[in-house]
Amino acid sequence: MHLPRFTYVRPGSRDEAAGLLDTFGKAAVLVAGGTDLFPRMKYRISTPEYLVSLSGVTRFLPALDEDGALRIDALMSLGDLSRSPIVRTHAPLVSQAATCVASGQIRNAATLGGNLCLECRCLYYNQSHTFQFVEPCFKLGGDLCYFAPKGNRCWAIFASDVAPALLSLDTVICVTGGPGKQRRFPVAELYTGDALSPLTLLPSEIITEIIVPSAFGTGRHSFRKFSRRKGYEFAGLSVAVALQVADDGRTCRDARIAVGSVAGGPVRAAAAEAGLPGQDLSNSETVRSAAATAAQEIRPIAHHGYQAAHLRHCLEVEVLRALTEAAGPAPLADV
Amino acid sequence: MEHIKVVVHLLINGDAHDLAIAPEATLSEVLRGQLGLTGTKDGCGTGECGACTVLADGRPILSCLTLAFECQGREITTIEGVACNGELNPVQQAFIDAGAIQCGFCTPGMVLATIALLNETPHPSFAEIEKALEGVLCRCTGYNKIVEAVNRAAEAIAARLKGGTSCQTP
Amino acid sequence: MSDPLKYVGQPIARVDGPAKVTGKARFTVDVQPPGTLVCRILRSPHPHARILGIDISAAQKLPGVKAVVTADDTLKIKHGFVETPRYPADQYPLAVGVVRHVGEEIAAVAAVDEHTAEAALKLIKVEYEILPAVFDPEEAMKADAPEVHPSHPKVTEPFRNIAGKTETGWGDVDQGLAESDYVRTDRFESHLRTHGYLEPQATVASWEDGKLNVWTSSMGPFIKRKKLAQTLGLPLSAVRVHKSYVGGAFGGKIDLFSHEFCAALLSMKTGRPVKVVVSREEIFAAYRHGQPLIVELTTGVKKDGSIVAQRIRTINNCGAYKGSGVVVIFLSWGFAMATYRIPNMAYEGFAVYTNNTVRCPQRGHGAPQMRFAIESQMDMIAEEIGLDPVAIRLVNARLPDEQLPNGDNVHNCGLVECIEKAAERINLRERYGSSRNKAAEGGSLRRGVGIGVSAYFGGSLIYPNSSSVIVKLNDDGSLIILTGSLDIGQGAETILTQIVAEELQVPISQISIMAADTETTPVDIGVWISGNAYVTGNAAREAAMAVRHKILEIAAQELETETCQLVLSEKAVSVTGAPERRMSYAEIYEASVRSRRGDPIIGEGHWRTMRDVPTHPSLATAKGRWTENYAFDAQAAEVEVDIETGKARLVRAVTAHDCGFPINPLNVDGQIDGQVSMALGHAFLEEVMMENGRTLNPSWLEYRMPTIGEMALSESIDVITESYVVGQPYRTKEVGEGYVSAILAAIANALYDAVGVRLYTTPFTPERILKALKEKAQADSGNA
Repeated sequence: MHLPRFTYVRPGSRDEAAGLLDTFGKAAVLVAGGTDLFPRMKYRISTPEYLVSLSGVTRFLPALDEDGALRIDALMSLGDLSRSPIVRTHAPLVSQAATCVASGQIRNAATLGGNLCLECRCLYYNQSHTFQFVEPCFKLGGDLCYFAPKGNRCWAIFASDVAPALLSLDTVICVTGGPGKQRRFPVAELYTGDALSPLTLLPSEIITEIIVPSAFGTGRHSFRKFSRRKGYEFAGLSVAVALQVADDGRTCRDARIAVGSVAGGPVRAAAAEAGLPGQDLSNSETVRSAAATAAQEIRPIAHHGYQAAHLRHCLEVEVLRALTEAAGPAPLADV
Repeated sequence: MEHIKVVVHLLINGDAHDLAIAPEATLSEVLRGQLGLTGTKDGCGTGECGACTVLADGRPILSCLTLAFECQGREITTIEGVACNGELNPVQQAFIDAGAIQCGFCTPGMVLATIALLNETPHPSFAEIEKALEGVLCRCTGYNKIVEAVNRAAEAIAARLKGGTSCQTP
Repeated sequence: MSDPLKYVGQPIARVDGPAKVTGKARFTVDVQPPGTLVCRILRSPHPHARILGIDISAAQKLPGVKAVVTADDTLKIKHGFVETPRYPADQYPLAVGVVRHVGEEIAAVAAVDEHTAEAALKLIKVEYEILPAVFDPEEAMKADAPEVHPSHPKVTEPFRNIAGKTETGWGDVDQGLAESDYVRTDRFESHLRTHGYLEPQATVASWEDGKLNVWTSSMGPFIKRKKLAQTLGLPLSAVRVHKSYVGGAFGGKIDLFSHEFCAALLSMKTGRPVKVVVSREEIFAAYRHGQPLIVELTTGVKKDGSIVAQRIRTINNCGAYKGSGVVVIFLSWGFAMATYRIPNMAYEGFAVYTNNTVRCPQRGHGAPQMRFAIESQMDMIAEEIGLDPVAIRLVNARLPDEQLPNGDNVHNCGLVECIEKAAERINLRERYGSSRNKAAEGGSLRRGVGIGVSAYFGGSLIYPNSSSVIVKLNDDGSLIILTGSLDIGQGAETILTQIVAEELQVPISQISIMAADTETTPVDIGVWISGNAYVTGNAAREAAMAVRHKILEIAAQELETETCQLVLSEKAVSVTGAPERRMSYAEIYEASVRSRRGDPIIGEGHWRTMRDVPTHPSLATAKGRWTENYAFDAQAAEVEVDIETGKARLVRAVTAHDCGFPINPLNVDGQIDGQVSMALGHAFLEEVMMENGRTLNPSWLEYRMPTIGEMALSESIDVITESYVVGQPYRTKEVGEGYVSAILAAIANALYDAVGVRLYTTPFTPERILKALKEKAQADSGNA
């Protein structure tokens, strides 16, 4: 497997990169770690004319804001993220989720921003199409879905592990679209939920940093990745739970439950969350009912050999486990 | 589109190389094809087997998913560069002694991932070994003897340090 | 009492370890002669289609393209895994007129680089007429099924698409079943798995001065030479297969592959070296995998558990050509009959063509599928008649010197001891049934234990039928071994070195080994029928013995004594009781050259298994001897199941094995560990997912081979039944394939022990386990 030919450009800043993306338009693709993009390029499912690399951009180390929020460079590698003491302390859930991604080698190249911008995946799409599945599917610009031949949409899965973690922490995303074109918004607004075009970013926009607010950042949490093998592969489903607990140590003040790998974007279990504030988290019935609600409101898509009904069942199991873990007597230590 | 090669300056196993490469050349292609360092293996090319693992500034990365161009300014170590003082690296020796090698195709990646692990964690737990090696597939050994090799290497390195001899591993 | 062995039986580190651990070992993918062209292959996108036309003109015109070949550029000579009168060669290296599976090879290009080769493939236009296709073997057998090939002319049943049939038996099964106290019938299904060798398929071919030089990732240079010569229309002597290290094979690199043929043909066309490295995706989606087998099994036993009769019917989904599909239906009979006494047996196996990729051997070659069925049913029977799993196996296990129905003998069979020891190590008698459905450490986790047994053949008669080895003494007393054997990771070079070291008392470090070159090393059976340690090993021993005889004769002559008075030690010969009367090998070499008209002391040895048997057994009737070395084993498993998610894992595996004796215990353990890992992949994780002949998961990301995170603790127990005596032939038994089977069955049985559900289909996915648990809960509540 080898990469297709492209013109390589290496801007010195993110604004400059955004400018280049603007200039080249659809002919260009942005690359940071490349661990998601390069396999797709080798399979020829992405063949950009221009590769705009962020490798020449100066990065900053994670730091705390005055209000206690943690700012993390989107170009931080997942490996650095999982090793960073300040992230471990102030956003342990992020660190934990980052550690669950793929393998150490990939984490050392893959970036936080890249993981948030993963392309959606499906068995049919993520292979070259030279002699198998030659007809292009929706995602390849065609007019069919191999997974659901009678359907009229793309059923690929957004499989980031970090995205649900950030979603559960009410993280804010900062993007630049070039000089003077910065904006910030909650991470939930990054995702369309449509696998065909999973991100709301404009073609020239680049995620620059993420801000983890202190409220959830250091609260009780749990991250669970359900997959057939440990690490290494993408999640069958992943669950991130973040809780704010009253001083009594058991009454829920606020809760976030986010699930990955079940749809075209990360999803919140909003109904399950809504039932938790004011409830006694040490009551097993409370968490059990929340998990059941989550499994009611989220309908996982079958993917990568996982059956939908089984994923739904495991969603309930894993949400229950995550809630139990998060609500447990002591917050989880570092991973 | 005119296809232009660019000259890059790479530091591989302590040796500086000025090479004309195409922008799409991966590090593994340059190592294997242009430099003849075929110890770095390519088992899949898509980042799944880990046989192509090399160290960049001491950290394991996949050379099949790394543009050679982006390795400028980084110190790259391949399996050809881990011997110490003309002898096998203790990790290499431990892999031989423990029977952790069969076909040998994953061995370079395993050894490099282990060197990186032991540099950061001289006495790893099983969980740490598991985490460090989860990205290198081995089909032959079932991993039992690889874990044993990592433990043996940790002991050998500790014994060397105690004895006052150290090995400058990357 | 002879001296203790110094090299054989010792856990000696691999002789190729330093080369492999430094990256110096040269694999085929590392071979890169100057001026090498890149070869890429055009594959069929259809599972079944007629080729109406191929237009290569545009591809030929592309700058940088040096040659394009299709079937019209070939001699259209067929090849096959089996080439016998009953099962003649059946596959063209490049498709002629029809393609029968997705990925079948149609054309190949040689170009200056990957980009050009890839662009050239896109310029080849093929016109197809789509034909109806069939993928399920039982569908394919139906009278109205699409025809992949006509049924074999000798098959009388009205089934379509029958590639081959094995039918054999003895006694009277109907009467046996009638006389049984307990009879049950079950159906088991195995799924499609693949080898997962780390080094991709790769070949470098270089046609130079009328000789084809080939480096290829293989399992036997001599059989590759034969098939290349045959399909290219060259004399054997015009093909030289060179040695390169092999990054794993597991059965998947023995057939002739089209890429090997194409690289050779393109080199002959262009006069330049041609290299092809097959992509991992192509390997998954177009290459040969293992064999998914359906096993229908009826067994009748007496109250004491002894088997009275067994009826077995297997159906093998053998893909678009015969491949080794017609062999597996023979072998799976062998794997059924070797372990237990079966007074009455009726066996029939069908290999059925479908429009799937072709099948080839995969480690165990039918044994895992068959043992999974038999050993699962064994436990079910035991439970029904109130025996424990150990007792029922002991009642039926073959004993030493038993004669098998095909005329083979089990010789010093250690099966009973294997069963006892495996059971004891994992405490099976006490634990089995005691923790069923009881929480272990965590709330949702259940653990169980189980056992299985298996037997495996060690070498059979198949081309080239024998191995030869040459041992040369150097004038400094060191040695060189020449062998056609190939190290594919199993340690062939190491054990042959150990044997020669032992016979001649030369340290391992002073023996070099030249291997696997069809021109400079002697013929070898290859490393794919589990006979290397026995056949090539005995050839090496014979060669060393020839050297030993010469050394002793010269020493006796020079030291003026009898050869029986001499002992060998550390590259020297001395007189017993008078160590000062001593000659080094260097001195002996010099004396030999001086006194024997230049004889530099070269020994030659050869070996063939079953020397009085003319040929291999009949694949159709199973008549005729198969092997003279049966290895036996019992394996015990401890499995953990999460009853909430259905996820299960192998925690611990115990392998009690009768491999005769271990030539190298480190290698034996390594083989066992690897097989346990492969079996746990088989049991829980790995599956080539296919849809209408297309592969859904052609990558390691989605084909879930075990990572270190899935590692199971693997322990082994030697059951020694044979011995090694210097100067005498030995009987060792194989260790490379047999231990992938009983452990699969043990896992199935341990899964049952943990949660009380029986799975009849592999793999044991969380979905299947959970479904079975739900059904059981419903049945239990219905019964309550």
